[in-house]
Amino acid sequence: MLVREHELLLDRLIHEPARLAILTVLSSVEDADFTFLQRTTGLTKGNLSSHLTKLETAGLVQINKTFVRKRPNTKVALTPVGRQRVAHHWNQLERLRDLSESPASETGDGSPEDASARRAS
Amino acid sequence: MDRNKLESAASHYTHLRGLFAVPGGALLVLAALGNWEWGPLRHDWVFVAALLALITASLGISRYYNEHYGRISISTGERARAAVAAFGTTALMLAASLLLRSDQDWSLDLPVNGVAAALAVGFLSYYALTVGVKPHHALIWGPLLVVALLPVWGGLDLTDTSNVGLVLAGVAAMASGVLDHRFLVRSLEPAHDLNLRAADVGA
Repeated sequence: MLVREHELLLDRLIHEPARLAILTVLSSVEDADFTFLQRTTGLTKGNLSSHLTKLETAGLVQINKTFVRKRPNTKVALTPVGRQRVAHHWNQLERLRDLSESPASETGDGSPEDASARRAS
Repeated sequence: MDRNKLESAASHYTHLRGLFAVPGGALLVLAALGNWEWGPLRHDWVFVAALLALITASLGISRYYNEHYGRISISTGERARAAVAAFGTTALMLAASLLLRSDQDWSLDLPVNGVAAALAVGFLSYYALTVGVKPHHALIWGPLLVVALLPVWGGLDLTDTSNVGLVLAGVAAMASGVLDHRFLVRSLEPAHDLNLRAADVGA
């Protein structure tokens, strides 16, 4: 079975490193606030804010602004679509890595299963 | 990009906010000193006042973490795992300390320090069930477990043995907590390969 090129296309919106980092952190929690995302990704406030706006516009995250002790607190959570797309994106990356690590493209059918079988032998 | 590091950040943040272990460990030490009626702790109100001070310190620590590292809501699965770990290890600690050496009829009454051994096993089990036993956990709680299980505690009466166990475990909890905090701070630093500080927002 050949791996068709379109099956390995990467989502450009998610593949950008900062956005992938944000979405990956969010995939392990129900929600996280702006400070936690800033700590874990190392992004500046402005950059994080811009990336979150893009992700919210694309429907991948939901942003909820509240007040905690009279201070604004921004909570961010993945939407079901966002959760699905980031998981799919990591799967794609792992498939690409498997393919690049094996000589399957030259002699085999190019599938990850074929690559795994080749490594096992 | 290190996927595991990013995904484990939330788990580390939930279980390795080690500064909480400092008042927690101090409480164990205070309990032992109170049992011995040491110095001002022979008055009950002093212990209550110290307890209130430790609760206030814990609230301050909570605020410090929230303001410096943020707030998260962990997933339902992670919450269930934390609850199982907390209840499971508490039950294990109680059962182990009573079984090893206590005034219960069914106690094995071994010449060991049941309280210190139970707390060491409890903490190691909790870490194993949540974030995995880190080297500093093994270095602190491992020797405490060994010392607690040495058959040299028979000469001390049960109360003194338990109080020494509380002091040892309290000091271990404080040291382990400080190192947990250090580990947490490092694990929350963004990976160097990301270098996202000036990441392009375009695309």
